[in-house]
Amino acid sequence: MSTPNSGQQNDIAIYTRGVSKYFPGVQALKELDFEVRRGEVHALVGENGAGKSTLMKIIVREYLEDEGDVFIDNQNAKGMGIRDVQQLGLSLIHQELNLVPMLTVAHNICLGQEPLTRFRTIDWKRMRDKAKEFLDQISPEINLADRVQDLSIPHQQLVAIARSLTTKPRFLILDEPTARLDQKATENLFSFLANVKNKGLTVIYISHQLEEIYQICDRITVLRDGKKIITAPVNELPQGDLIRRMVGMEITQQVPKEHVPIGEVILSVRDLSPEKKGENINFELKSGEILGIVGSIGAGKSEVAHAIFGSDPKKSGTILISGRELNTRNPAEAVNAGLALIPEERKAQGLVGNESVRKNMTIASLEKRFCAARLWIKQTKEKEAVRESITTLKIATRGTEQEVQFLSGGTQQKVVLGKWLMSDSDIYLFDEPTKGIDVGGKHEIYRLIMELARQGAGIVFISNELPEVLSLCDRILVMYQGRIAKELSATTTNREEILFYVMGGKENEQDTKQSWPTDQ
Amino acid sequence: MSRTQSSLGQLISNYGTILAFLVAIIFFSIATDTFFRLGNLQNIIIQSTALGLCAFGLTLVLIAGEIDFSYGGIIGLVGALLASMLQQGYSPLSATLVCLLVGGASGLLNALLVVGFNLSSFLASVAVFFLCMGAERVYSHGVTVWIQNRTMLSLVQGHIGPVPTPIVLLLGLLFVCWFLQTQTRAGQHVRAIGENIQAAREAGIRTSLVKSLVFVLAGLLFAFAGCLETLRNGGAIMYAGKQLLLFVLAASFLGTATFKAGKANFPGTLVGAFFLITLMNGFTLLGMKFYLIPLAQGLILIASVAISSIRRGEIEQVKF
Repeated sequence: MSTPNSGQQNDIAIYTRGVSKYFPGVQALKELDFEVRRGEVHALVGENGAGKSTLMKIIVREYLEDEGDVFIDNQNAKGMGIRDVQQLGLSLIHQELNLVPMLTVAHNICLGQEPLTRFRTIDWKRMRDKAKEFLDQISPEINLADRVQDLSIPHQQLVAIARSLTTKPRFLILDEPTARLDQKATENLFSFLANVKNKGLTVIYISHQLEEIYQICDRITVLRDGKKIITAPVNELPQGDLIRRMVGMEITQQVPKEHVPIGEVILSVRDLSPEKKGENINFELKSGEILGIVGSIGAGKSEVAHAIFGSDPKKSGTILISGRELNTRNPAEAVNAGLALIPEERKAQGLVGNESVRKNMTIASLEKRFCAARLWIKQTKEKEAVRESITTLKIATRGTEQEVQFLSGGTQQKVVLGKWLMSDSDIYLFDEPTKGIDVGGKHEIYRLIMELARQGAGIVFISNELPEVLSLCDRILVMYQGRIAKELSATTTNREEILFYVMGGKENEQDTKQSWPTDQ
Repeated sequence: MSRTQSSLGQLISNYGTILAFLVAIIFFSIATDTFFRLGNLQNIIIQSTALGLCAFGLTLVLIAGEIDFSYGGIIGLVGALLASMLQQGYSPLSATLVCLLVGGASGLLNALLVVGFNLSSFLASVAVFFLCMGAERVYSHGVTVWIQNRTMLSLVQGHIGPVPTPIVLLLGLLFVCWFLQTQTRAGQHVRAIGENIQAAREAGIRTSLVKSLVFVLAGLLFAFAGCLETLRNGGAIMYAGKQLLLFVLAASFLGTATFKAGKANFPGTLVGAFFLITLMNGFTLLGMKFYLIPLAQGLILIASVAISSIRRGEIEQVKF
């Protein structure tokens, strides 16, 4: 691993001076000075909401800064657009894979720049050769003639990276590239990065995984709350130090946890392996208990919830609800057994946008509660119940008939909550219920979740925001790469320790663990 | 996924429509003594010509991830123009060119509505369909005009060597369409746009331009198909396009269940067109009541598409 020496100090590839960015109600970046040297792999780390993505989007000109300056290759980026910085050799590989599924690997790599024969037809042989040149740099074992739709997700991601190389980038930004990669593909990526670094390519690497940061990066910049905390060579910033700087000592508004009696086991998950992601998931949930599940993007949290609920298939495993086995691929049966899933993608999975608040709220409980002789809907009773929910949940809507698509994100989430509260479930699976919701809305949702627990429901609370998990949950499961890496008790753990496991820390690396401050 | 299936299963899922087609041919050959004769087989191909060409146009649009119903109106409008221009003494060439121009213009209108005004292609093309139908009615006053021009009629009645001209036209255009779509950069970009327009855009493909070209080319194919259909009928009959509306749609979507894993493709479309006409021809020869033929056709289509798509678990999804 090359340590940058002072001779390279003048050789800065990208830097920002005093960059600030405001979004409605929040300052995402605060007078940020950030610099990346030519030919280094520079890790950018920070908790969710620290400003990593905003900074990268400003560098690639997807966003424009409100204050300050961005310099790429010593040129001020003011007035530059996405195309201009691409021309300077900047390439961002983001998390969506933009590939054409039914074209071959070779064709996807060369899409838009297919070599032609004398007769203006596609020169398939030269196209394969050209694609091979780029693919060989990163993953020679992928077959160029395969259609992209037949590849595994990790291989698709590698093809996407190979594709971005065709523009001959000089600066490469990778946004959590390994979230979709398996072990083998990750090794491919790393040896590629080690290679290109020697050829003078500059890489900015956003990641949540400690191991890989220390394996491949030269320097690290830590962001927190839109501010740069430190930039340092990796060997001068041990893991424990890094995590402490990510978390900081900020005081977050906490919700007082209401302690309720914890009862019998109502949900047991045994050796569950969801088909999408995850292996050997085992846990139990008691009535009145709030169980947090945390982990970085791609760790497999949502996949577990969907596999339990039956909205995604599972490879193997048993799910017991109050001792009775639930064997279903059908969410309707899960609902009958007393399960409720409040999905993360509430627009796509939880709401019918152009329908009214009333219809959205009662859709899961119509048959149980509002149908006369299972035939027609008792509208008066339905409306009454919805009005009651609107009052208790403080839903900001003009009335029961307002279309949900015109409500704010937080209000929509409350409608989804209301829907499941009406269903009188015993077990609630919340998938990132507070994502994208303002502080006031969050507190409403915490209050509701605690109310559910008080009434004896068991709650699985999936979240990436550690403060809320710490203050709301009784126990916390940390997932890492599809497995449960650690179970922690919310009363004895703290943010540093959780983050340590979220980022793939191993239990025996005790040196860092002992230094956790306990005065959280 | 599909790789774990047995090879027989895969064969059925990939070529289900073709198998059903072959079964139908064998059945009709045994059940009637008139079906499997050169004259009848030629007849089937000639009857499929206008249908096939029109379906090529639709297939091109389907590959680009859009849909186009405007042929339902273009065919009739073009027919009325062709017949009356020939009657008024215009040369076959100039009459045909005017027809193609009208087809191209309709395609351009589709492109303007879909690409320019961001309308759904379903709605836009149905609107253009109605416009053309209305124009046809205004132009022809509902009068059937017969065509006497021998040069023009030879396009459907003549032979090139021993082979009937329509067969040459149909197979020739199949080759041209297939070649342009699969072997040229622009043709492959059409597929890329239909599959993942975001990816195409990021690859620097000018998606609006390509999509517009697709609609214009389809309009030209519709117009040419309209000329041939009119010639085959011997004259311009009111609303000729409506007759073909569902057949063209069925041929293109049958094509998606043939050959290429649930995606629109030209050879599949031609098989679809042949299949539909073969069924109609065979059942007619069997002496089936004409009003029962659609019933039988419908059942057979469901069965043939079902065997290939159920195994595959997917059929063509068009985003309107």
